Amino acid sequence: MYFFTDEEKKNLYRGLLPKAREMGVADELRGWNWPFPPLSPIYDILLAIYEVAGAYCPTGRDLYLRRVKGIKTRPNLAMQKGTVLHGALVHLIVAAKRIIYEEGVANYQKIVTRLNELPPYPPECWPGEVDTGEDPENYARLLRNVKVLTDFEKSRLIARIQEILVKQPYIGEDSLVSLAIPVVVEQKLDGSFLGLSPNLSTDAVTYPEPVIVDLKFGRPQPFHRLNTTGYALVMESLYEFPVNLGCLVYAEFKDDRLLVRKDLHIISDELRQRFCEIRDEKARLVAEEIDPGVPENCPASCPYFPFCR
Amino acid sequence: MVVFYLTVTDLKQFFYCPRIIYFTYVLPVERKVTAKMQEGALAHLEAVRLEGRRSLKAFKLEEGQRIFRTPLVSDRLGLAGILDMHIVTPAGCFPVEFKDTNRPLSVNHKYQLAAYVLLLEEHYGKPVRGGFIYYLPRKTARYIEVTPGMRVHVKDKLKKIRSLIERQIFPEAPRRRGRCVDCEYKNFCGDVG
Repeated sequence: MYFFTDEEKKNLYRGLLPKAREMGVADELRGWNWPFPPLSPIYDILLAIYEVAGAYCPTGRDLYLRRVKGIKTRPNLAMQKGTVLHGALVHLIVAAKRIIYEEGVANYQKIVTRLNELPPYPPECWPGEVDTGEDPENYARLLRNVKVLTDFEKSRLIARIQEILVKQPYIGEDSLVSLAIPVVVEQKLDGSFLGLSPNLSTDAVTYPEPVIVDLKFGRPQPFHRLNTTGYALVMESLYEFPVNLGCLVYAEFKDDRLLVRKDLHIISDELRQRFCEIRDEKARLVAEEIDPGVPENCPASCPYFPFCR
Repeated sequence: MVVFYLTVTDLKQFFYCPRIIYFTYVLPVERKVTAKMQEGALAHLEAVRLEGRRSLKAFKLEEGQRIFRTPLVSDRLGLAGILDMHIVTPAGCFPVEFKDTNRPLSVNHKYQLAAYVLLLEEHYGKPVRGGFIYYLPRKTARYIEVTPGMRVHVKDKLKKIRSLIERQIFPEAPRRRGRCVDCEYKNFCGDVG
C-alpha cells in the first residue's frame, strides 16, 4: 500500500519532484517559518489534523459539538472499519521489520517462512470500538478484508526483501530493513508550533525523499489533500527540511479483490494557504465558542447526526 | 452573470491586505499618493520601455514578439487587467509581469501572474501554460508554471473578494503588521500602529 509501483516512481522522480523543486514554495509558507504569520497560530487552541482537514460536516459543527460542548460519540461503521484496516497494515509492517531484526540476514529463509505464516491482524488486538455482535455480516466482511490486505502486503514485503538480498551480499539487518521497508508507520509528530496537537500521528512517511502518506478506505474527497499538507507543515516545523510531496492511498475491496489508487501530489502554496486559513477559522470557532449552525445537508452516517437533527 | 469587474491588481492587493479591497469598493476613501509612489510608477514605466530594446535571452526564448501594455478582460471571470508585457512565440504565449524588487517570489505576485495567464488564455482562445516574473534590478526572469491548483485558487479568491464586497465586511488587519507601516490606507484603519 505504501510502496510505489514503477509507474508511480517514474511519476514521482521524473514528474512531481522536479516540478516541486522548480515551482518552489513561498518561504513564508514553509513549516519552519512557524513563528511568523500566516503560519503562527492566532488562538491558544491545539487542533488535530483531522479536525482542520476534515470537511465531512460542511459547517464544522462536529468540531463545535466535540470541542465546545464536550459531546463524545461512537465512531461510525466506516470509521471503525478504517481503524481496523489501518491497524492491520501497521501490524504487518512492524512485524516484518521485527522478524528481520530477530532472524538476521543469515537466516533469510526463516524470515520468508515466518512472514508467509504470519496470521492476519487478530481480532483480539483490534481497537475496542468494533462491536462484533452488532452486524455479523459486516464483521465477517471485515475479517475477510483484513486477510486480503495482509496477503497482498505480505507478498510485496517478501518480494522486496528478496530483491534487496539478491543484490547486496554484505548487507546487515538494519540496512535491509531501511532498503526493503523504507517507511515509518504511525509517525508521531508534535504539531504545537503550528497550533496543532502535540500527539499527531501520520499514517506513514516514506524515505529517502520524504512523502507523507495517508491511507483512505472511503471515497476520495477534495479536502483529503489538506491532511498530507498539515503533516508536511508539521514535519517542516520540527525538522527544518522541505517536505514537498504527499500521497493519498485510496483502497477499496471489490469482492475479495483489493483495488488501490494513489493520488501523488505536490504540497503546493495553495494547499498550505488553505490549511492555515481553515486552521485559523476552526480554532476561532472553538476559542470563541461559536456555533456554526446545522448544515443544510448532512450525511446520516455522521456520528453527530442525532445531536444536530 | 458578471455584476462588476475586478482587476488583477485587486487580486494582488487582496493577498497583501483584504482591507485595501474594502477601502476600494465598500468605503472608498481618497488615498494619499505619495511622491515616492509617483516616482516608483514612472520608474517602472521607464524600465519597461527600456526592456523593449533587450533580447529575449533572459527568458531563454530564441524568438518571439513582445507586446506591451495589453488591456485584458474576461466576462466569464469578471476580471480585467493591463498586462505589462507578453511574448508571442510559435510555441505559445507567455505573460510577463515586471517587478522592481530584489525580494524572493512572493505569494501575491505569483497569483497575479496566474490571473494574467487566465486572462491571456481568454484573449487568444488558447491554453497558456505559464508566464514570467521579470525582476528589473537584476534583469532576470523567473518562469512560473501555472498549475491546476493555482487556477482554482485564483478563482476561489475572486469569489472571496466579491463576497467581501457584497457583504460589506470590514476584514481583519493583516497579521504581518510590517505591511501597515508604509500603507497609504493606514490612517483609515484605526486599529493598526
